[in-house]
Amino acid sequence: MHTLELRNVNSGYDKKTVLHDVNLTIHEPSIYVVLGPNGAGKTTLFRTIAGILEPYSGEVVFDGENVTSSRDVRKRINYLSHYNAIPEEMTVYNALTFYANVQGGSAEEVLALLHLQELRDTKVSDLSQGQKKRVSVAKVFLRERDLYLMDEPTSNLDPGYSKEIRDILIKLSKDKIVLYSTHNLYEASDIGTNLILIKDGTIALADKIANIKLREYRVGIRTSTDISKIVDAKRVEQGYYVLSVSNPEEAGRILTKLIENGVLVTEMRQLENPLQELFETA
Amino acid sequence: MGRDPGIIIVTRGFALSKSYIVFATFFAAMAILTANFGNAFLGGVPGNSGIDVGTSLSLLSVALTAIAAVTLTTSVILLYVYDKNNGVLEYFLSLGMNQGDIYKRYLKAGVILVSLLMIAVAVANVAVGLILRGDLTVPLEASALAAALSLSLVSFDTMAMMTFSSLQKPRAGANQPLGLALGGLLVVPAYLTPWTLPFVAVVVVDLAEAVVIAALAIALFVFSSKLISREKLLP
Repeated sequence: MHTLELRNVNSGYDKKTVLHDVNLTIHEPSIYVVLGPNGAGKTTLFRTIAGILEPYSGEVVFDGENVTSSRDVRKRINYLSHYNAIPEEMTVYNALTFYANVQGGSAEEVLALLHLQELRDTKVSDLSQGQKKRVSVAKVFLRERDLYLMDEPTSNLDPGYSKEIRDILIKLSKDKIVLYSTHNLYEASDIGTNLILIKDGTIALADKIANIKLREYRVGIRTSTDISKIVDAKRVEQGYYVLSVSNPEEAGRILTKLIENGVLVTEMRQLENPLQELFETA
Repeated sequence: MGRDPGIIIVTRGFALSKSYIVFATFFAAMAILTANFGNAFLGGVPGNSGIDVGTSLSLLSVALTAIAAVTLTTSVILLYVYDKNNGVLEYFLSLGMNQGDIYKRYLKAGVILVSLLMIAVAVANVAVGLILRGDLTVPLEASALAAALSLSLVSFDTMAMMTFSSLQKPRAGANQPLGLALGGLLVVPAYLTPWTLPFVAVVVVDLAEAVVIAALAIALFVFSSKLISREKLLP
């Protein structure tokens, strides 16, 4: 069990404060999705937790040790930046070996883990953006760490490779803390069990996704018959009767009512991602 | 691969830009020719400072060798800026390194390069001297002086460029001219003294300059982590 604590952290660049008095405590191993609009402070948060940025005040503590001052604790953290950080003049294998020499681990193993063997002897400069991203992600998995900070790890990746990386992180999150930022709300709700919402450099919300109550849920129901006389479904959008409910339980009651009235329900789904409202209000 | 980080940086720097190797080879060749031709053909010709022109030319090779060294190590500075801009330095920081650890890698690469160049210049000086059947004493003394001045100059230049590279606004390409200008400026005394001072005084001035520049390089290295915050290494 590991513990990450941010205590009254103020951090930023060139004395311009980006994170304002951030307090956060994480105990449980899990995936924590970090959401927030551009410029909210997600990358600054990751860089500060990784010890790359020194907080102006406050402290980041991992398992009781100050991240800024302890080199040893920083070595237990893996950070994936926006930047690929892969020497472009090297081949994929040499680039991963270059990092394996610095941090340990085996280039061969991560090549296999991310199915990069066919690119082994290709120069990094000859790779596509998506392939570079995969190599960049591979370097993070060279050695297993206790805390993973993944800043948009699946940007530029096609769905198959994105899932591959998410699956690795889900497996790791059984006993590691993984902070995962993304702009893809469907990915966020798919992978995350916990949500950290950043707004203007402060933590606006930190909770389990299951606990998050939204003002309104829009539910779409596809049926064989007109249900507007049975339930309050006034509009039809793309073949769905649209209902607004205040919580998921209410949707269940509506479904029961339709079945009791002999309606054949062929599909029922949430029309918007539940995180959309949070993201828009952030 | 498993090689020393300094050697890896040298290799990567060369892969990034080969033009500096060509320029450095040109300056080194000029230094070798100046040291030996002057000594072989103009020895005994009186100059303004009371020492003969041959010896003055041999001592001038100190400055030319130092310029060759600064030019050669520009590839290391280029690589530093390149690594900074594509996030490699940020990743190093995330692995627990501090500014000093990172600077040390690139500084070591610069020192390795200069050491290799100095060995090559000394060997070439002996070879050319033997071919021209001149006195080897002065060219070899000039080689020793050049090694002292070049090592300190390159150490200072590399440290200064890394420490203050974040102050330059055009981040990608504008660093090497400033590095070369800085190196060229510090070599000016070594250009002038062979024509104005006696032999022993030239040696003393060059050595004193090497010691002062080395002290500045060490001071920059020691205080780099305090002078420059980690954020200056970010892309």
